[in-house]
Amino acid sequence: MAQLDLLRPWGQESWGGFGALRREMDDLFDRFGAFTPVLAARSPFPAVNLYETEDAFVLTAEVPGVAPEDLEISVEGTTVTLRGERKVAPEEGASVHRSERAVGAFRRAFDLPVPIEAEKAEAVHRHGVLRLRLPKAPEHRARQIQVKAG
Amino acid sequence: MTQVLRNPLKQPVREERTRPGPVYRPDADILERADEYVVLVDLPGADEPSVQVRFEKDVLSIEATAAVTPDPTWIPRHTEYQPGGYAREFRISDGIEVESIRASLANGVLELHLPKTGRRRSRTIQVASA
Repeated sequence: MAQLDLLRPWGQESWGGFGALRREMDDLFDRFGAFTPVLAARSPFPAVNLYETEDAFVLTAEVPGVAPEDLEISVEGTTVTLRGERKVAPEEGASVHRSERAVGAFRRAFDLPVPIEAEKAEAVHRHGVLRLRLPKAPEHRARQIQVKAG
Repeated sequence: MTQVLRNPLKQPVREERTRPGPVYRPDADILERADEYVVLVDLPGADEPSVQVRFEKDVLSIEATAAVTPDPTWIPRHTEYQPGGYAREFRISDGIEVESIRASLANGVLELHLPKTGRRRSRTIQVASA
């Protein structure tokens, strides 16, 4: 499976530049040493997993803070595209002390090995995780062949 | 001062438990408004009962576990994340009304409001005459 495209319009550690602010805040909020991350590698947003079952592919994506109405899913042939936007309203008069969460528009596309029955695809959005069930076209589903005693 | 926030998410506060699987440091934003701090933490997959917010000895700690996990019969074909737990701590100096901290969880994002105490809101420094 090939990943076709990935847009990451946001920076990596956008708050690093505010040296003065950071010094000012160090006595208020600070990262606490005891909880160093076990896994902290930054994956693209949203992070996507793809699973296969006998009759479908299941795509899951971590989309915290993305409203269901801001997600757009399209299936064309064997390509599944996930588009969306995480909106953050700029706030007058508030100062930003830490800004790690990804914001902005994203687009991720995946090429699946077999065609999908697009009209039977189902999407569920729960606790900030999207689950997309993509049924395989009938001729590409796994079939159990019964072995008869001769 | 040791204090457990009183059911910030209207759920019983659970005891410490062992966590199987990976534990991540979730991404967070911190905003300061005139009268409060706002902390936003990404906890995709976590449900309300699993989220623990504690304030103990000037440390705000956030823990959660992912409730949205893949079906064990699914065969992984491409993996960019492993559902797991979350843990992060922030040290907070005085100046927060601990009793009034509010927490809510929506679309996998924990939102905490930490009101400043009156003292912190308007701090004037007296200049003594020589």
